[in-house]
Amino acid sequence: MKMGVSLLMAAAAMLGLSGAASAQQTLEQVRSRGNLNCQVGLPTPGFYALAANGTWSGMDVDMCRAVAAAIFNDPSKVQYQSVTSAVRFTSLANGESDMLSRTTTWTAVRDGQLGLEFAGVNFYDGQGFVVPRSSGITSARQLDGATVCVLTGTTTELNLADYFRANNMRFTAVTNENVNVLVETYLGGGCDAYTNDKSGLAARRSAFPTPNDHVILPETISKEPLGPVVRHGDNNWGDIVRWVLFGMIEAEEMGVSSANVTQMLQSPNPGIKRLLGTEGNVGQGMGLPADFMVRVLRHVGNYGEVYERNVGANTPIGIPRERSLNALWTNGGILYPMPFR
Amino acid sequence: MSDATRPEPLVFAPKPADPPPPSSIGAVGWMRANLFSSVPNALLTFLGAWILYVTVAAVLDWALVKAVWEAENRRQCLDMVGRAGACWPGVAAWIPNLIYGLYPKDQAWRIDLGAVLLVAWALPLWLPRVRSKVAIGLCLVLLFPLLASYLFMGGAKGVVWTAAIALGLAAFLWCWLTALAEMRRGISFGALMARLLGARDDARAARIGQASLLALYLVALALVLPLELVEVPTRLWGGLFLTLVISGIGITFSLPAGVLLALGRRSEMPLIRVFCVTFIELFRSVPLITILFMFNTMLPLFLPAGVEVNRLLRAIVAVCLFASAYMAEIVRGGLQAIPKGQYEAAAAMGLGFWQSTGFIILPQALRIMIPSIVGNFIGLFKDTTLVSIIGLFDLLSMSRAVGEDTRWLGLFIEPFFFITMIYFVFCFLMSQYSINLERRLGAGQRR
Repeated sequence: MKMGVSLLMAAAAMLGLSGAASAQQTLEQVRSRGNLNCQVGLPTPGFYALAANGTWSGMDVDMCRAVAAAIFNDPSKVQYQSVTSAVRFTSLANGESDMLSRTTTWTAVRDGQLGLEFAGVNFYDGQGFVVPRSSGITSARQLDGATVCVLTGTTTELNLADYFRANNMRFTAVTNENVNVLVETYLGGGCDAYTNDKSGLAARRSAFPTPNDHVILPETISKEPLGPVVRHGDNNWGDIVRWVLFGMIEAEEMGVSSANVTQMLQSPNPGIKRLLGTEGNVGQGMGLPADFMVRVLRHVGNYGEVYERNVGANTPIGIPRERSLNALWTNGGILYPMPFR
Repeated sequence: MSDATRPEPLVFAPKPADPPPPSSIGAVGWMRANLFSSVPNALLTFLGAWILYVTVAAVLDWALVKAVWEAENRRQCLDMVGRAGACWPGVAAWIPNLIYGLYPKDQAWRIDLGAVLLVAWALPLWLPRVRSKVAIGLCLVLLFPLLASYLFMGGAKGVVWTAAIALGLAAFLWCWLTALAEMRRGISFGALMARLLGARDDARAARIGQASLLALYLVALALVLPLELVEVPTRLWGGLFLTLVISGIGITFSLPAGVLLALGRRSEMPLIRVFCVTFIELFRSVPLITILFMFNTMLPLFLPAGVEVNRLLRAIVAVCLFASAYMAEIVRGGLQAIPKGQYEAAAAMGLGFWQSTGFIILPQALRIMIPSIVGNFIGLFKDTTLVSIIGLFDLLSMSRAVGEDTRWLGLFIEPFFFITMIYFVFCFLMSQYSINLERRLGAGQRR
């Protein structure tokens, strides 16, 4: 099946190029359709979570809502498409989705060969391991010969192989497409370690019967810059998604949030004036109104609010932001929005 | 000498037979004969009983004895019993989603109503003294979808759409009125109206019958016109409802399509034969998952930009085409089992192709095909889980979503257990009905 999928993807990418002329008008299509088709993944807590009442929420869902707010001044004008990771790129290339916001790692091959364009990074993640405390393992270097549970069809699987090869160690992989099956296998003793992006490990560990019997190893074995993706060939659409994301980070840097955005419209600070469109017109070149960031901030909030609401320390996911890569560059992180001018 | 002194003639009176030894009758006898007839058999019986006891006891212990029935989230369940007992509150919280998907819950009555209508419509097929069963059955298959699709989808209805919905409703009313008329008076609804209105001759009776049908349609139209339902886009459909929609349409489409394809494959007209053979072989030699992929991801590439074909529709079309290719081969097998003499006898009677096929061949062939047809239906019902890969939230993918809900994170065995029960009930009922059908239809063949 893997083979079939990659063949389909290659074919889709080729056909996608021929359709590039018509791809210029994604914004027009979204406007005339009246909603944004935003692709998320199968429900995953913190990033695209599906609640029992049928509503979607999460970091990546808020990215979709922000783009919809910028275009329609209404964050609810989003149709969520939940697709398995095997078909995500084909489903974007064939025009079904307008954007893809589903913890997708930015890699050279994906950017260069699959007809995709990465519009930025909304979460810096990295892969780690969780092992039973009783095993006495304290470092990933001690995992030589271990059986490792790993999600199939993602970069996680490849990183695992790279790490073990680079360190001249051997491992046996137990793969599945369903995280819960892997966790159950790990808890049942079917593998010595479970590996995934660290953002997911903490949440999963909190749902173990006895979380304290398991430790997350200190090593981060990969770089996982996760962000929204659009189709190659419609640069304007890519700009919209990119600058909505940068605008949300910029707003946090300047102290503009959903709570104070109305007062901030009166702010004399030229940076804030440009961000909120009371001076200059950043949105014009992209086909958006001057105040598109006001819409985004009013309905969705700035990056910090989105983070704390979905994955912050006070949520069940509980990923502390201080001193992490996802802090602002002014706070020692690497979130650095390009100048909004 | 009186007769009284004569001895009674000796008549042989057999002694009543001894009862069979207690060890060969009753439960004990049955067990001796079937379970403990030899030493190896006895050992196997003990082994089987032990395995049964161990597994059933373990499942019951997990699912009922140690299970948690009330909790706010999975953490509470884990704190109470760990992983030794099932955590049912998570499944309970998700039951509406498992059944209706993301369908707005205040609109879920529309799905319930659709299900009730379907059952009510099919009910006359089992009632005694109803003669128009073929007509009722055809109505059900052809016109119920019109009514149901509006009920489920809702939204704005144009002129044509309104007329179609009214046709569906009128057909439903007609089916029940006819069924009632035939049960009470033994005549159809049209004929009953004609008699009530005192028709003098056949031509007038026929006209009254037609007029009453028209009146029925107008009544249905009057009922449908003010009806306004909120639109529920198909992307919100899911759960058991979606599974039943996809498999139901697949099943009702695949049987007639399969019969036509099978007849086409045996046809002597080269064009039709080549078309049927190509279609059947193409769809049979490609896995369903690939067909779904093709329809879902490749089809939009060939359409002009901006044209969107509904995702659910694409999946249904893919399932229908796949299922009819398989059905065609089952039907062909059935057709080949009919001895050539039957064809020749039908031809000798002067019956044409459609008559001999419809009255002689197919009724016999379909009867012997029942087990394979129902087997195929059951397979199709379970195959619909594959649509989860193209992003439709059928029963299986909905049950996976439970374990990703932040409150019930990691809960996945319980929802799987629950939907296993649902799948079992549906598949078991289907197979029981097929056995029942075989028994009734095969009455003439039994010795």
